[in-house]
Amino acid sequence: MNPKPPESFEDELRRRLRPIDAPEGFAERLMAALPAQRKPAVVQPGAARPSLRQFGLPAALAASLLVAVFLGVHVANDRALREQQLGIAASEQLMQALRVTSEKLDLAYEAVNNPPTAGEEENRS
Amino acid sequence: MSLSAAQTMPDSLLLQARAGDRDAFAALVRAHQRSVFSIGLRMLSRRDAAEDLAQDVFLQLYRKLDSIESLEHLGFWLRRVAANLAIDWLRRLPYSATRPLDEGAEVAAQEADDDPLMSRELMRLLGELAPHPRAVMLLRYQEDRDVAEIAAMLDMPVNTVKSHIKRSLTALRGRMIGAKLIDCEELP
Repeated sequence: MNPKPPESFEDELRRRLRPIDAPEGFAERLMAALPAQRKPAVVQPGAARPSLRQFGLPAALAASLLVAVFLGVHVANDRALREQQLGIAASEQLMQALRVTSEKLDLAYEAVNNPPTAGEEENRS
Repeated sequence: MSLSAAQTMPDSLLLQARAGDRDAFAALVRAHQRSVFSIGLRMLSRRDAAEDLAQDVFLQLYRKLDSIESLEHLGFWLRRVAANLAIDWLRRLPYSATRPLDEGAEVAAQEADDDPLMSRELMRLLGELAPHPRAVMLLRYQEDRDVAEIAAMLDMPVNTVKSHIKRSLTALRGRMIGAKLIDCEELP
């Protein structure tokens, strides 16, 4: 056969790849195969109930915030209580140390102001 | 072209179909059946498979009408689903390996063009392309979709689409020149 005269190959493709008619009665056969009733998704704005999805994200955020606040308060209280207990323990230790020191000082004072006599020393030995 | 026929439809038709109007849905089917069937036929190279595919696509549309936002979206959606479904079928079933030549002859005869031999050869060569480049070529030259749309329809990068077009054009042109169906002068 004779070669075709020059023409854009892409135009040639477009021309030769035109859509082809569907088989006769295709739409009718398809419609017969469809379910008898299609459930239309018509949303009545007035009667619309708030869906879980609609409020799901804000609710989740609010819940997360509440949990975070609760945990924060709990942790802060716990820490304050622990610090208070540590303070009391430290205070008790200090008081104990002061008591011991005071007793020692009393003994020393006693020893300095009322030294034992020679007879007492001999009796002791 | 089917796209312009679809563009003349009123937007209300889609709303009516979504509300359950079967006549409106049938009108949508008639407006797009040529394109969907042609994608199926040129991808699968068999009329029976192409009709099955087209029916499957429109049944999916019927179930998912509520997600279609506009007539433009409808055209995009139908071509995307048809092309991807055909690629999927080709992966699973050896459609292309069966009788592409006979069906190509049938399609060429149907088109009643000035050179049925060339159309037949073109169908045969198109059938030799791998599924993805074949879908790209059909969406580009049958459906006249631009590269970005094709990329979105087939979920592939724009550069891949461009590469498929370039390589497929070179291959088709080379084979048609080899078969002396077109002149070397047509080369760019």
